[in-house]
Amino acid sequence: MSTTRMHPATPGTPPTATPKPRTKRRRPWKGRLLLNVILSLGAFTMVIPFLWMIATSLKSPAELAQFPPTLLPQVWQWSNYSEALQAAPFHLYFRNSFLISAGHTIITLVLGSMAGYALARIPFRGREWVFMGFVAMLMIPTYTKIVPQFLLVKFMPLFGGNDIFGQGGTGWLNTWWALIIPGGLSATAIFLFRQFYLSLPRELEEAARLDGLNEFRIYAQIYTPLIKPALATVALLTFQESWNNFLWPLLVTTRDDLRVIQVGLAVFQQLDSTSWHYLMAGTTLATVPMVVLFLFCQKYFIQGFTHAGIK
Amino acid sequence: MVTPAVAHIGLWTALPVLATFALSLTDYNIFDAPRWIGIDNYIQIWNDPTFRLATWNTVVYTFWTVPVSMAIAMVIAVALNQNLWLRTWYRTAFFLPQVTATVAIAMVWLWIYNPQQGLLNAALSVIGIPGQAWLADPDWSLWAVILVGAWQGIGIKMLIYIAALQNVDNSLYEAASVDGASVVRKFFAITLPMLKPATFFVLVISIIGAFQVFDQIYVLTDGGPANATTMMTYEVYRSAFQNFQMGLASAQSVCLFAFLLVMTLISRRATRGDDE
Repeated sequence: MSTTRMHPATPGTPPTATPKPRTKRRRPWKGRLLLNVILSLGAFTMVIPFLWMIATSLKSPAELAQFPPTLLPQVWQWSNYSEALQAAPFHLYFRNSFLISAGHTIITLVLGSMAGYALARIPFRGREWVFMGFVAMLMIPTYTKIVPQFLLVKFMPLFGGNDIFGQGGTGWLNTWWALIIPGGLSATAIFLFRQFYLSLPRELEEAARLDGLNEFRIYAQIYTPLIKPALATVALLTFQESWNNFLWPLLVTTRDDLRVIQVGLAVFQQLDSTSWHYLMAGTTLATVPMVVLFLFCQKYFIQGFTHAGIK
Repeated sequence: MVTPAVAHIGLWTALPVLATFALSLTDYNIFDAPRWIGIDNYIQIWNDPTFRLATWNTVVYTFWTVPVSMAIAMVIAVALNQNLWLRTWYRTAFFLPQVTATVAIAMVWLWIYNPQQGLLNAALSVIGIPGQAWLADPDWSLWAVILVGAWQGIGIKMLIYIAALQNVDNSLYEAASVDGASVVRKFFAITLPMLKPATFFVLVISIIGAFQVFDQIYVLTDGGPANATTMMTYEVYRSAFQNFQMGLASAQSVCLFAFLLVMTLISRRATRGDDE
């Protein structure tokens, strides 16, 4: 399952899963068959909603009105997808979500890895305090900071018609700034990066110093290339979390052209609560990128989720 | 090199947390300056039947989603810890709901729960059970939300258990087999105790996650019918962004935070108690 070694993120995290031969015991074939049947049924239950989503997105309104519903579309209405894009600008929402997720990922990778490196490798005054501060921030639930975050965005000085004291305008509300900057970095990412850098040997650093490399080059050229799998893990987790985020974009945007796909879906459902074929087409579009990303990068996702334990 | 990160986290996490505590002692509607009112917000919360109901709903939601999906996840993890053909496919299927957006997932469930054309009522009618207006009926709506939460939460818990199981020493099982222990006996005598640290970790992150349920409430029920599915988070959202009572919302989120802290401490004690 894993080829790279990572350190547990939190006390109590299960230690790294090193490849190890799994249980060799052979069960009697009846037992194995039963196990497989149960697991298949369970797995099928898990994917039913996804299959139902896709099936619905390809049915005609007349077919949707039938009861009991048909399992598979009688006629596969691929045109539902192009019509859904006419009904609501899902392609625009899709692009917005992509830009924001990419923005968050880049900020997290750059700032997070720099901070993680510094905390792991550079002894500076107050390092322990800074680290403790980040650890304390790990525990903070979204809802304990959402109100002031919103106020900060609203009263951002000199933006959106605000004066130097943040009065008079709308600040960062309905801007890309609000969508990209506040959610750009999390304490969790910094914490994970620190663990990755700590797991690398000291000797590299000493050799690099003897060669006269400065601190930034040691970070950028010696250590960071060694944690590429970790970068991939953090990047995927950040992208996924940001793509799936709902509350923050809901709060800070009202303009249709800044809407992300999750908010776009919710708004579409509120405005038109009967066009299930379009809604499911939109939902499929919102789901597919993450499913594809997951299927192709399972290894990194699984490592990341196992060690960060975040959603 | 750590400065930009400190600045970012300081401005967007640390400062807001402190501000939440400060604002919780004020009356503030965004338009007028905040007015200091001491603990009045907390008194109001204490006397507010809706927030009490929201707290109760959150506890009920957590109480059912977390242990149920943990139990299912553990059984699946144990089953998947063997050399099974299709093993990776099973794992992917169970994990899929975790990587997809809660809003998108909730949309699909909204459709499944649809009283007229929904899949659930159709499936029930096949076996002769009358359908329900799952989300519109106060008796059923919370259970409908719980089912979605439990279904979505299985994946991550399963994954952590699988990782933990790979570290369980095989020789323990071999020794138990030599002694003639049954599969069930081995599960309770070896697997369960060995999974204790993982269970603690899963419990804590699941409780923290379950207490913050919001997206599916927003999509599925809007907290209704008659507040039957409103949650603490949903009340914070309503106070702050529908009624613009920023002070009250801050006080409510402090309560949520306090709850989480207490739950984390309790679960730490419950799972670690005797061995450390």
